[in-house]
Amino acid sequence: MSHQPCAVVGVGQTHHKTRRWDVSLGGLVREAATRALEDAQMDWSDIDAVVLGKAPDLFEGVMKPELYLTDALGAHGKPMFRVHTAGSVGATTGIVAAHHVETGRHKRVLAVAYQKQSEGNAQFALGSGRGGSLGAGGAFAPYMRSYIARSGSPLDIGPMVAVKDRLNALKNPYAHLKLTDISLEKVKESPMMWEPVRYLESCPSSDGACAVVLTDEEGGKAAAAAGRAPAWILGTAVRSEPSTFPGRDPVTPQGAFDCADDLYRQAGITNPREQLDCAELYVPFSWYEPMWLEAHRIAEKGRGWKMVESGETALDGDFPVNMSGGVLSSNPIGASGLLRLAEAALQVRGMAGEHQVDGAKVALGQAYGAAAQYFSMWVVASSLDPFGR
Amino acid sequence: MTAPSAGTVEMTIRFPYKRSLGPVIGAFMTGLAGQQILGIRNGSEVMCPPLEWDPKTGKELDHGALVEVGPAGTVVSWTWVPKPSAQHPLDKPFALALIRLDGADTALTHAVDAGSIDAMSTGMRVAPRWKAERQGHITDIEAFVPGEDPQGLDDSRPEEPVTMMPYNAEIPYTLPIAVNTARNAVALKEKRLIGLRCPVCSRTYAGERGFCPIDTTALTAEHEVQLPQTGTLTNYTIITPVQYPGQTETEPFARCMILVDDSDLVIGYQPVIDLPVEQVRVGVRVKLVWGDGDIEGWQPTGEPDVDDPDLVNRIY
Repeated sequence: MSHQPCAVVGVGQTHHKTRRWDVSLGGLVREAATRALEDAQMDWSDIDAVVLGKAPDLFEGVMKPELYLTDALGAHGKPMFRVHTAGSVGATTGIVAAHHVETGRHKRVLAVAYQKQSEGNAQFALGSGRGGSLGAGGAFAPYMRSYIARSGSPLDIGPMVAVKDRLNALKNPYAHLKLTDISLEKVKESPMMWEPVRYLESCPSSDGACAVVLTDEEGGKAAAAAGRAPAWILGTAVRSEPSTFPGRDPVTPQGAFDCADDLYRQAGITNPREQLDCAELYVPFSWYEPMWLEAHRIAEKGRGWKMVESGETALDGDFPVNMSGGVLSSNPIGASGLLRLAEAALQVRGMAGEHQVDGAKVALGQAYGAAAQYFSMWVVASSLDPFGR
Repeated sequence: MTAPSAGTVEMTIRFPYKRSLGPVIGAFMTGLAGQQILGIRNGSEVMCPPLEWDPKTGKELDHGALVEVGPAGTVVSWTWVPKPSAQHPLDKPFALALIRLDGADTALTHAVDAGSIDAMSTGMRVAPRWKAERQGHITDIEAFVPGEDPQGLDDSRPEEPVTMMPYNAEIPYTLPIAVNTARNAVALKEKRLIGLRCPVCSRTYAGERGFCPIDTTALTAEHEVQLPQTGTLTNYTIITPVQYPGQTETEPFARCMILVDDSDLVIGYQPVIDLPVEQVRVGVRVKLVWGDGDIEGWQPTGEPDVDDPDLVNRIY
């Protein structure tokens, strides 16, 4: 499958908060989009097409937001697309936008994803408007119990992930939760929400948006020549699988393996642990870090928790994970997937500020959704040929 | 192709959403609460209703460049609503119209209370009829009425700027009932637990499943199997309920995965009975307890727990 190269030349996001009541929905998405355009040194008129992503419409009660936000996103007279793949939607949005460039159909595409959780109630929306909603934590708790049982992980691993991500968030000016006095004890003393997951091992509800500007090889090279480092997309992959069937294993979903394998093949990666410099993974609850390290072949089966325990996944470790503070620190659900891809891009562009991984050249951005049944991910690099193929 | 249906069921989703209005729509709504209609300057044009940006170019507008328009205006297009629904602004026949207010270059959508379709025409002049109780909402104008003179003017002005808008969504659905759902409901009424066994892969699904997602095989009455009403608890979640409109739970509750005996079927997120949340654990032997035409939950049988390290992995 040959296609044209695609580069990320602009990244923007909002300051994520519990309530962004200072802005309208349009104002929220524009805040992220305007920052991405500024980063790309482009104007609205430079954009050929817009791709919009968000989680279910029940979250804000705005039906067909892609129509409502066409004006706000400067999409008058341009193609406007809406993407929806549950919690992974932000990442799928970035990937759909990349495909528009890779196929040669459009030259400069704006991808925007958002959620304004304060306008509704996530628990209500995830329960399809009925009583007795499990919420995401309740639905995923059995998966995490299964992971702990099969891997033999010490029970401290979840809290360790929580502390690490919350410390990373202190270095990210856009992160929602800033818990300066975070400690292992604090996490372990926090209320048990959905055993085995505690309050401080869970993601917040956030208002926020993220935007990226994607362009073709010519645009990427022009940005590089002007001293603005692009992130080159080495591969993109999306997979889904049925939510329920006898024997389905949501801890190591086949969809995740298939998606990662396809991605690594495109990117020329045969040893993810060695060839990737860092990863930004969708970890809304602490135990998802070791689970996803294994389900994406970064750690061997049963050894994901050892990477956490040894400090390898810390910002100054050998394989940093969730440098931005991750979903645990900011969760505007629809935007969360695109924030993962955007952070991977910022890292290889050397633009991640205080949470920059020294010398990061190749990074993975990943998201999942629904009953761990949608997967979307990309690998970006500081050059088109980082492995000298 | 429409799936065969065994009737329909009505349901309504309701939720009180809150909108944050931002600087421009917020000012517009604040204006309405004080019986003032505001537009925004966009170059040589004035847009009403106002937007934060130029819809043609996407450029940010000067949010301070708000100007009063109207109150009267001209109908540029309209349609008659002969039978208003509960969600319409008036409970008698009315027109929905695009109204270009004096001083504005764009049109506002609102109701015109003209009394009869014969009183409506493109180009007719209309003016707002204000509500006495105003909250900073588009319905502060009850409707427009034919003529030049606004109705219901008073000197009440809002004490605070309007920044938020309540939106009470109410969406009624008519859902088709699938044939398998109906057949499963009959079985449940007869206190039978049925499954559907895929003829290709032999996996067993819950009685209302319409297909095997692995083989994309349709599951029908001929694939029905009678299942034992006993099983083993394989995994669980304890939910501390968050309160939201429509929430029915107040205390922590358990939802459990039950592996049905003599089958590979795990029924997910089931309630348990006579098993306090602190005693919920992997391996408990349970039996089905029937409620009124449905599964009420699963109750411990008193048999010894099943000790199998792989049991916890049977989430599905």
